[in-house]
Amino acid sequence: MRVAILSDVHANLEALKATVQDIEKQNVEKIHFLGDAVGYGADPNACLKLINNICDIKLLGNHDYVALGLQNPLYFNQMARESILWTQQTLKRKSIEIMSDFEMEETFLDYHLVHATPENPQDWNYLLTVDDAQINFKSFPQDFCFIGHSHIPVIFCLKPDGGVVVINETRHEAIPGCRYIINVGSVGQPRDGNKDACYLIANTDDNSFEFRRVSYDLEKAQKKMEKANLPKFLISRLASGQ
Amino acid sequence: MPEIIIKFNDKVIERVVTEKKRISVGRTKDNDIVLENRGVSRKHAQIEFNNDAAVVIDNESLNGTFVNNRRVSEELLRDNDSITIGKYCLEYHQNINSPDTVNQLDGTMVLKTKQQKKLMENDKIDRRIVSRVGGSVIVGLDNTDISQYRLDREVTTLGKAKFVHIRARGFMLSGIQAKIVKDGDVYSVVNLGRKGKIKVNGEFIDRAQLKNGDILQIGKSTFRFIEER
Repeated sequence: MRVAILSDVHANLEALKATVQDIEKQNVEKIHFLGDAVGYGADPNACLKLINNICDIKLLGNHDYVALGLQNPLYFNQMARESILWTQQTLKRKSIEIMSDFEMEETFLDYHLVHATPENPQDWNYLLTVDDAQINFKSFPQDFCFIGHSHIPVIFCLKPDGGVVVINETRHEAIPGCRYIINVGSVGQPRDGNKDACYLIANTDDNSFEFRRVSYDLEKAQKKMEKANLPKFLISRLASGQ
Repeated sequence: MPEIIIKFNDKVIERVVTEKKRISVGRTKDNDIVLENRGVSRKHAQIEFNNDAAVVIDNESLNGTFVNNRRVSEELLRDNDSITIGKYCLEYHQNINSPDTVNQLDGTMVLKTKQQKKLMENDKIDRRIVSRVGGSVIVGLDNTDISQYRLDREVTTLGKAKFVHIRARGFMLSGIQAKIVKDGDVYSVVNLGRKGKIKVNGEFIDRAQLKNGDILQIGKSTFRFIEER
């Protein structure tokens, strides 16, 4: 079975629509979403509606959690805080209801799905290094864990000898005996130097994974953000993918 | 005729109307309204009526008489004013047209009904719980895994999801059906999930400020809110 896994849409409807169009050509049976539907971008309601309609598993991200008023945005940086306060004012009642059914973590076959880290999902920590991965491999029993949150696509592989290595491949076939933590990147605000939307296709038959990049109407997304008076840096960073 | 609604912990325990020109309120049995509570003086206060006007007069009581939370010695009452004596609240209504539904105050009214006794007992139990837990709490009554949950967070989540603070049960309940938001000493419950799943004291709500003793229903699960006072 081919499964699309996406994360960190961040209210970027143009990126999400382009991603969905690409997914439609990929012969996938299921789509899973790893959280952060809202925050930063200008289309939180439309993104939530689309995610709710097309995704099977839907998880909460830290921006969604704060948007629901479940956590104080004080720990956000100023721009994230500004945009989440705008989001809170913009969200429709139906959108809140949609998010109220998102999960914190889920399992699907041999996959563990979570937004931030499997160790403490609600602490919203970042899993960025080999050492972070080493600790987190102890927190889930499955062979594969898929995460988002950092907006940087990466594969961490736990080898049978206990060592963790980073695999920088756009397509990878799992090595028998190894376990994996895979960050699927971000649809709506990539930060790996590539401005194109990023998501992952996982194949449960041969345990292969493929990162896909999708270009989208970036200027349209930026214009909407300008119109909504969202912070300038959040608008300009879309073009640099940083 | 003027009406006095007597409340204990926000719960109505008696509604009375009177044609008397003056009624006395105090702890001893020779008062018109007897309030059996240590915070009430023997001859605590009196309320005088003259046509449509009413005045409450404090009889130099030890713990005072309050109108709308302000201590008074003598105060002209306005419609819906709230007189606090000890733990009781006497709500004044200038005129009611259907006195048939309430008690006529034609003799001494000793407020020691079964309902009031139960309220007093519950109050004692609540105080013990709050003192043991150390703050305002949600007590699980029915279809819940919790017995008591201290509301010490800014936000407490309730619903059927595994990750919420207080799990609730029920058909078509949302993962995070509700949140209880703490703002200083004020607690409010807010519906986040599907509509028609939350009741406070039997009424469907989308948002409500919680008061001591409120019964909160989320789906099939029932809780009681006890406020630290």
